[in-house]
Amino acid sequence: MDKSNLNNEKIEKNDIYDDARKIMAEALVDLGNKNKNIVYISMDSSAGACGGPFQKAFPERHFEFGIAEQNGMGEAAGMAISGKIPVIAAYVPFATYRPFEQIRDDICKTKLNVIIIGNNSGFSVSALGPTHTILEEVGILRALPNMTIICPADGVEYRQVLEVAAKIKSPTYIRVSRIKAKRVFDEDHELILGKADVVKEGSDITLIAVGTMVSKSLEAAYELEKKAVNAEVISMSTIKPLDEEAVIKSAKKTGKVVSVEEHSIYNGLGSAVAEVLVKNCPVKMKFIGTPDEYAPVGTYEELLDYYSLTSQKIADSVLNFYKSF
Amino acid sequence: MSDLTKNEIIQLTQRAYKCRENILKMMRFGEAHIGGAFSSLDIMTVLYNKILNHDPKNPKWEDRDRFILSAGHKCMALYATLENQGYFKEEVLWTYNTFNTRVPMHPDEKVLPGIEFPTGSLGHGLPVGQGMAHAGKLDKKCYRVFVMLGDGESAEGSVWEAVMSAGHHKLDNLVAIVDRNGLQVNGRTKDIMNSDPMADKYKAFGWEARTINGHNLEEIYDALSNVPFKPGKPSAIIANTIKAKGLCFAEDKYEFHHWHFKDSEVDDAITKVEESCREELCKLG
Repeated sequence: MDKSNLNNEKIEKNDIYDDARKIMAEALVDLGNKNKNIVYISMDSSAGACGGPFQKAFPERHFEFGIAEQNGMGEAAGMAISGKIPVIAAYVPFATYRPFEQIRDDICKTKLNVIIIGNNSGFSVSALGPTHTILEEVGILRALPNMTIICPADGVEYRQVLEVAAKIKSPTYIRVSRIKAKRVFDEDHELILGKADVVKEGSDITLIAVGTMVSKSLEAAYELEKKAVNAEVISMSTIKPLDEEAVIKSAKKTGKVVSVEEHSIYNGLGSAVAEVLVKNCPVKMKFIGTPDEYAPVGTYEELLDYYSLTSQKIADSVLNFYKSF
Repeated sequence: MSDLTKNEIIQLTQRAYKCRENILKMMRFGEAHIGGAFSSLDIMTVLYNKILNHDPKNPKWEDRDRFILSAGHKCMALYATLENQGYFKEEVLWTYNTFNTRVPMHPDEKVLPGIEFPTGSLGHGLPVGQGMAHAGKLDKKCYRVFVMLGDGESAEGSVWEAVMSAGHHKLDNLVAIVDRNGLQVNGRTKDIMNSDPMADKYKAFGWEARTINGHNLEEIYDALSNVPFKPGKPSAIIANTIKAKGLCFAEDKYEFHHWHFKDSEVDDAITKVEESCREELCKLG
């Protein structure tokens, strides 16, 4: 493979940025047209999430519950067991933490087809402080049997994720950043549940990234090329069920794995990857993410820098790790 | 007031006491939330025998009325009622609380026909019932959704979130029945977290509410057969009941919320319940 050509091609594509909320809003209307069972459960959260256009297109299928998340999640369960496919969206803490027991008992235990969207994930709204900057929810939701977790990497995947989730016939949590997503994939890329994508091939070290960190890791990998380190980058958009085969295959090839996520290093993507490696292919591993603390207030960029999640700092961390052997 | 004939009342009384007897027999296999099971049983008996459009041979019939027992720990009453209706064979009751049973201490819709939704953690039933009611309206179905709650359970905030929104959404195909037995684990509900005046609270949130004697079969029937009480409003039935009703030595005692019994006490309890049944039937002449 001609790496310089690959790099040039990728850099060109990275010039495109997508607004996840806008893309998902359009996709939801399309899905609503195709599937009459799609309903939207708003907890004063349609406009702030992806429900605004759906509400206009299908007012009879849009249900408002105000700021009452336990009730909204219970309503979604009641709708789903009656044959509907509810999409319920809110800021991450209100889509996941406040109604957690309803998610566990009423939706996951019953294995109902409810699509939960956690909006403004990670550092998206970090100015609002730690009540809204949630960096642990994947770890908590990942522990629930029957739960699928998807965190799209770019606009191409955001366009497909609702349709993928609607077909699963069990609950899905979709983690959505407010920050415009740098394009990673070609337009014809298909988001396949439980399948990882190698977005850059390499032989020296493996970077497994999710969501916002896929494009950052790709940029980091190009930086590493300059240091003669050929990193493989894997986009792991489905955190659960994890594509174990892809993890093992790449780990066997490179012998060194780094996980990268805009989430706590406890119980998130890195932990899921480590669980696979320790059983199947123990290799040296580094976890890049946030530590065991509540994030400070700052802009998105300030938080990325503070937690060493810029592409340059990811490259530096990976290089140090690589050189330590 | 009531359309129930004397014979129907006698038959319903006999059925309710047969269920109480079966609940006591189930206790031989595991611990029991006897208090709430007995306080809610007369309401369930009227509901399943006279009110619900349901088909025990086709439990998933799409036009059926739905019943959710939000206070899931009272499920012995529901199990006994469903068995009495023919949803499953009596032998299933005698596996109560045993390994991998279909009749555990909290109901599970995956393993037992007739259970609409699994409950156990309090405060979940009304939001879920509301979702079913909304789905019914959306599908232009005529089914109704009945949710039975406890008065102790009514301290849960999620109950009032659902009460507020069901009133807001004018869900007149939704009925909340509060089994107001006045007792919970730690004592009297009015001392632990007073939920009175219950009917006024529902009315304030846009419901139409009635208070009845939850052991008077005619009153229960009259209320349940007249829902919705008002078009465009959900209906609340506040049923004043007696904890452990029908078991004379346990009635209105919070210690019998969850009865830690000795095996030898079960036979005596069955005798006492049979006596209560005879007394009730004597009163009817």
